[in-house]
Amino acid sequence: MADVEDSGASAANEPLDLVRLCLDETVFVKLRGDRELKGRLHGYDSHCNLVLGDVEETVYVVEEDEDEPSSEAVRTVKKHSEMLFVRGDSVVLISPQPAS
Amino acid sequence: MSFFGFDTTLPRDRGHQKSAPGFSHSDAFAGLSDRARGPTDDDALDFDDTYDGLGDQLEETGDDLNEDTFGAEAEPATQESVGRDFDFGGATAAMSRTMQEEQMLYQARQPPPAKKPASPPKSAATKPKRSGYESYAEPGYIPRLEANASLWGIAPKKPAEEPKPTPAAASVATPAAAQAAAGKKMMSLEEVEAMMRAQQTKKPVTPQPPPQVPQHQDPISQPPSQQPPQQQTPFAPSILQRPPQSATQSTFGPGLQRPAYQAEHQALPPELAQSLREMTLRESAAMPANEQARAREPALPTQQGPTQPRQILQNPNRLSGHGQPLQQHYHPEPRMPHIGASHSRGPSFQGPVVHAEQLMHMNEAERKAYLVEDARRAKRNHKIHLLSKDNGLMTPQDKNFITRIQLQQLVAATGNIDEQNGEAALNEDFYYQVYSQIRGAPRQNPHQPANQFAQTYLFQTGGRYGLAGRRHHRGADNHMQRMEQQVQRAVEAAKLKPKNKQLVIEGSLGKISFSNAKTPKPLLNIKRPESSDSKTQNQSKGPPSRGAMHVDNKSVLKDIENVYTTLMRLEDHERHLPPPVDVAGNDALIHEHIAWQQGAKALIDKIWSDLKVMEPIIPNSPVSHPFIAILSHPKGKKTIPRVFRHIDEQQRITLITMIVVHLDGLDVVRLAMPPYAAAPEEDPNAPPATLPRSVRDEIDLFHRTVMPSLFAYVNEAPLSIVSGLLGLVLDRTNVQQLLRTRVGLSVLAMLVSRAELVKSTVGQQQQQGGPEQQDWDLWAALYGRLFDAAEPALAHLFPGRANDADDVHVWQFLAAMGAGASPEQQQRLVLGVKDRVMETVAVSKGLPQEMAAQRLGNVNLFMRAIGLDVELLS
Repeated sequence: MADVEDSGASAANEPLDLVRLCLDETVFVKLRGDRELKGRLHGYDSHCNLVLGDVEETVYVVEEDEDEPSSEAVRTVKKHSEMLFVRGDSVVLISPQPAS
Repeated sequence: MSFFGFDTTLPRDRGHQKSAPGFSHSDAFAGLSDRARGPTDDDALDFDDTYDGLGDQLEETGDDLNEDTFGAEAEPATQESVGRDFDFGGATAAMSRTMQEEQMLYQARQPPPAKKPASPPKSAATKPKRSGYESYAEPGYIPRLEANASLWGIAPKKPAEEPKPTPAAASVATPAAAQAAAGKKMMSLEEVEAMMRAQQTKKPVTPQPPPQVPQHQDPISQPPSQQPPQQQTPFAPSILQRPPQSATQSTFGPGLQRPAYQAEHQALPPELAQSLREMTLRESAAMPANEQARAREPALPTQQGPTQPRQILQNPNRLSGHGQPLQQHYHPEPRMPHIGASHSRGPSFQGPVVHAEQLMHMNEAERKAYLVEDARRAKRNHKIHLLSKDNGLMTPQDKNFITRIQLQQLVAATGNIDEQNGEAALNEDFYYQVYSQIRGAPRQNPHQPANQFAQTYLFQTGGRYGLAGRRHHRGADNHMQRMEQQVQRAVEAAKLKPKNKQLVIEGSLGKISFSNAKTPKPLLNIKRPESSDSKTQNQSKGPPSRGAMHVDNKSVLKDIENVYTTLMRLEDHERHLPPPVDVAGNDALIHEHIAWQQGAKALIDKIWSDLKVMEPIIPNSPVSHPFIAILSHPKGKKTIPRVFRHIDEQQRITLITMIVVHLDGLDVVRLAMPPYAAAPEEDPNAPPATLPRSVRDEIDLFHRTVMPSLFAYVNEAPLSIVSGLLGLVLDRTNVQQLLRTRVGLSVLAMLVSRAELVKSTVGQQQQQGGPEQQDWDLWAALYGRLFDAAEPALAHLFPGRANDADDVHVWQFLAAMGAGASPEQQQRLVLGVKDRVMETVAVSKGLPQEMAAQRLGNVNLFMRAIGLDVELLS
């Protein structure tokens, strides 16, 4: 009972416990397909399905010049969503993000 | 290796040891006939001293080994059936030849009349000492070793029965030797050779002509000897039975002693041959007849003398069949005089004896029956011959050897990874082997089984040439024993295989599990926490040490999650409130209630500790109090109203006190400290600085969540508590800072308004109350202090400009202040905010109706508090 790592370990016994700490916090989520999300985490489940609020989505688009195939320009497309459901299979990482 | 302490470097000794039985044989003699070794008595004594009777022990099992060594008795004793893994014929024959030559020379020099029947040449011969392998040097000894002796149905002669074995007797003990010795009537060597040759030459020509046989024999090889021809005939068949075989097969194993023997004798120089012949004749004549042998075949020579050789010559192939069972067919036949002999002589002798001449003597019926019998027998023999072609190809040792190999492979296949042959193991599982070699130690048990396996199999197989060779004579049951032991050890080793199901390798992320059919390998081994209960219990275990005051964001988040976990459990617990107890009173129900309340209490206590409200306050600490830190998170703020319902009065006042004491430490106050607040008047044209959106959100949230709880409590709190809280605010916090923030102003307004409310309700009734009066005096003093602190800042209370609508809280605060203010203080208030009031009224005139009304309403809050109205201004 006199566990020294009370504050440290007890709340995070499995990876998703760390995600739990981010509930209601602003998180950065990286997705497959060169997409990133930043928003408030409202909920998640074991599949990493996420519900995010007040989300800013960034899509990185690589544009190839037809004349010069070698030159590539990365363009970003941003979208804003009030509420977003993210299917877990596309989630690459979830990171706490200090609100800015 | 030195079994008897011999110097093993001598080749003879090696040869001797290989054939230990031979030694035991002569050792028996050593004990038996003193007379025989009379001349070499001293030497014999040496021998005894050296060998110390060990040979006698060996001797006891000496006969059992015969089957083992020379092939099982049950099998037809063909030449092939005799094992080829002994080399009595090869190695020792080569040696025996020289010995024999020596012997011959000696005998040639000896005066012939020295014929003592009992004088064995070996005692007087070149060998000064009996070393146990004399017999090998004797030409006759080799045949005696031949297990085929048993073929003739004669039990291998015990040395004891032969008081004085002479080289001559031994020399005749060729394939037929045993029998010959038994019969005591023997052919000379020349006779034997003659018969062989005759047979070989005869065979291709024709098996038929009977009279020619003796004629052939005589001219070719029969020496001028006193030996009567009748004497040799009975033995001819027994000697000749082999040549047909060898002729058909035409290949003698190199280790078979027979060819060597023949070659020796044929290669002998004439004089030697002559002397030998004489000697053998002499010996045979003088040799006291072996009683048993003589009794066995007394009438034979006369009865069937002439016919036998012929019969055999005529049916050479049949003889090779060795149709053992056929014997019986002839037993009843009256014309078969040699039945008894054939019986005793073994399978090869019983063969087809009847042919042309004999057939002619038979009557019709007999002949017919005999022919049918003969045909059937021939057929059968042929079949048996075909089937038994490869019989005895492998000796028991060979079989054991192969079985052992198979067993070894079996064990290796069943997964003992630690087999000694690294090569195969490497092929099997390269990376594991390399890894385990690098790792070395960490393998736990496998080393033990490894040794065991190594002992079991490798020692055993190695022992085939080492130990087994020496223990050769131990016989078949020795092999069986070994096999049994081996199986037993294999089973033991399998049992010893690592029992534990898991193997923890240092540095790995988990445990390696051995899987088997019953318990498949678990792919994941996650240790689950006993329950969330224990988790929170751990958390609630009193205040952590003061050193743990370091509050970082993560731990705060964890604290919040713990609060939520407990909170949800508590709310869930609430839903399980048992039905209300009726008047009658149900014991069980009452117990349920009690239990429920206990559970609720425990959960509430847990929440209380999770909130960390009771954490000691460290003044001027760089990090905020854990509870305040919790409040700095939106979800932390949201917990307050939910928690507030559950906690009792004492806990509520404590919680509010904590908030009030740290009011300027709250993020909603700290972050809302507007540096812009000073700006408006200096630079009116500057765009109004606004709070960041997130902070505004936080403040809004705080107002929506925390403040109502505080209001709810304060609105019912007695004056003493309100005074106390205000005193804390004034003492412990930066009032100027609070005055510029919405939350701060709200809290102050809340306290002041509550005091005014109390004053208006209670105060009227007992204005002059005794103890109450002190509270009022205290409150008045506190209010004075607050007013003094707020007055200079009145101009800066408003966050924005007059056209900024977000100033309700300021007007509320002013109203509260104004309500409780003395007339003098009210005047000062009005002076302080007059400009703002005028501005706002002016702005509102330009606004749409609704908004203007709202703005004016806000202003009126204050104006009415001091007994004025906006209408008066306009």
